[in-house]
Amino acid sequence: MPRVLLDYIRYNGSGGKRVQAFLADFYKNLEKKQAVQTIGRGRVHVVAVTDRKEAAPGIIVLGLFAPELAAVTRPGQFVMAMPPCNGAAAVALGVYQACADRIALLFFVTGRRTRGLAMLVPGDTLELFGPLGNGFILDGLRDVAIVAGGVGIASVLLPAIQLRRCGARVRLFYGARTAQRLVERERFAEAGCEIVAATQDGSEGVRGYVTDALRAAKRPEHVLACGPTPMLRATAEIAAEWNVSAQLALEETFGCGVGACWGCVVPIAQSAGQAPPFPRRHDGVVYARICREGPVFRAGDLRW
Amino acid sequence: MVSVSEVDLSVDVGGLHLRRPTLMASGCYGSGEEFALLAEPAGIGAIVLKSLTKEPRVGNPMPRLVHTPSGMLNAIGLANPGVDWYLEHEAVKLSSLPYAIVGSVAGFSVDEYRYVCERLAERSEIAAIELNVSCPNVASEGETFACDPELTARVVRAARATTRKPLIVKLSPNVTDITEVARGAEAAGADALAIVNTVRGMAIDVETWRPRLGNGAGGLSGPAIRPIAVLAVYEVARAVRVPIVGQGGIETLFDALEFFLAGASAIAIGTANFGDPRVPERIVTGLAEYLAERGLNSMSEIVGKAQPSRAERTWGATG
Ligand SMILES: Cc1cc2nc3c(=O)[nH]c(=O)nc-3n(C[C@H](O)[C@H](O)[C@H](O)COP(=O)(O)O)c2cc1C
Ligand code: FES
Repeated sequence: MPRVLLDYIRYNGSGGKRVQAFLADFYKNLEKKQAVQTIGRGRVHVVAVTDRKEAAPGIIVLGLFAPELAAVTRPGQFVMAMPPCNGAAAVALGVYQACADRIALLFFVTGRRTRGLAMLVPGDTLELFGPLGNGFILDGLRDVAIVAGGVGIASVLLPAIQLRRCGARVRLFYGARTAQRLVERERFAEAGCEIVAATQDGSEGVRGYVTDALRAAKRPEHVLACGPTPMLRATAEIAAEWNVSAQLALEETFGCGVGACWGCVVPIAQSAGQAPPFPRRHDGVVYARICREGPVFRAGDLRW
Repeated sequence: MVSVSEVDLSVDVGGLHLRRPTLMASGCYGSGEEFALLAEPAGIGAIVLKSLTKEPRVGNPMPRLVHTPSGMLNAIGLANPGVDWYLEHEAVKLSSLPYAIVGSVAGFSVDEYRYVCERLAERSEIAAIELNVSCPNVASEGETFACDPELTARVVRAARATTRKPLIVKLSPNVTDITEVARGAEAAGADALAIVNTVRGMAIDVETWRPRLGNGAGGLSGPAIRPIAVLAVYEVARAVRVPIVGQGGIETLFDALEFFLAGASAIAIGTANFGDPRVPERIVTGLAEYLAERGLNSMSEIVGKAQPSRAERTWGATG
């Protein structure tokens, strides 16, 4: 499928006539070798907050009425949420839940922008755009270990649910500083995941890093992970030792979120399917934008 | 009363004719396509492309961005595919767009600037050329070009010799006297000035005891630098005759108006697009309404109107 079409569907949903019209236009332009005009109505969604929960001090789950987003969001994608304060860039948040006409976002309050989002209450509106990025590829996976650290938990519920629906075995390795911050485990339990917890202070589960728990576990067929970079690196190492493939959802500070500013890059192999068509470095490495070519990368493609 | 539809928002920026006085700042808007599905073209007068250099550059180590109070620090480090690659592969996307495209040029020597200017000058898609002599993130063996009036003038003269396209020179606020550099650029042949680029800054991680940016220092943008930028525009507008593209923290109509009143003929919007891609459209719509409400029908009626009149100036000098 042409890249522009994927982008178009990502923004406009895959429904019916609009996509057909776009396709017709695309091929007409292609014949004429002309620039494809992808300019259209903005995809900034104005959605209503339906519920708000503080899962632990400083960890917020916001429920939003957003039927359009719920219909098109794929596991591993993110949205850019605009905090209700001036002078603040939008915040990239993994879509935590998406079902029927509702999505939910889970985030940690870490600064001014997330504090602004945390002040929203049911009935408020929130503006956001997305869904953005390429999600996890889950087809055909039967036995999966999901590794999540801290706020990374927000990006792995959707893939866990989808995998369980297809009958896969899912083990969640979930790490946090303390037991209190191991939030939302019930959701994963409901979905039928086995949960292995790790805390740094040993207040629950394995004492230490979640990757220590992963290393001690039985080898899965595939690994998905989202969390801080050191955790992802360790996960990639373990997967390599096991000789199983892994998909990592990278966390980074974003600027634009749409691939315009090159503020969120990661070095990947130029042979990777996601590599942007940019001039190669002599050592066969190319910089990919996490927001556009990612945020999910195959561990084997990363050159960090 | 003037009706909104009678208001003429077009401006002339040193020969670059724009239907609307809003440029998308270099480095913040890619080639435009990245934001194409999010923003209305009705808000865009021109897009300034990411600065291009002669050779491809991978840019600075990560992290390249830090969000700070009322703005952000960036140290992208002029990551770009090089002018030749860009023109060969990406420039085709730039034809038949409903707004103008301004090429941005960066370099580490006068020759590099000259080369990139020559390449851009050949292309009909490029309506004007902006010289980025003020990127704070590459500290080319010492200073940025814009810190040295003489060096700036040499770059401008070299660029001027390559093209008759409108030449905009983008200046740094990180200097003792920006008007001196501005006068030098004007004398060397600049058609317009872009004021200002980012302000140098740093953020430090208290866990790791290291600067947060991979590059150490970075450039501060966003509302945090707006008053600095407004003053720079105000002062330069009195020192030169060429038009000014004001920028630095513009988020709303009122921010934009401050720049116009200080003496900018057009404005550029950068970081604000990251907060809301609809900012440019809102400013353009608001601007037409603002002028109409006051019975004004063109941009020239507000540009520079915050400058003191001759009488006030004399009074100021003697008082
Ligand atoms: C992420 C980022 C990248 C930038 N890259 C460039 C660049 O390549 N060339 C340039 O001339 N200015 C660059 N700038 C500066 C902007 O064009 C603009 O002058 C500055 O950010 C002030 O405007 P603002 O506060 O509206 O963003 C960059 C700014 C940001 C935030
Ligand atoms: S955040 Fe701007 S390119 Fe990724």
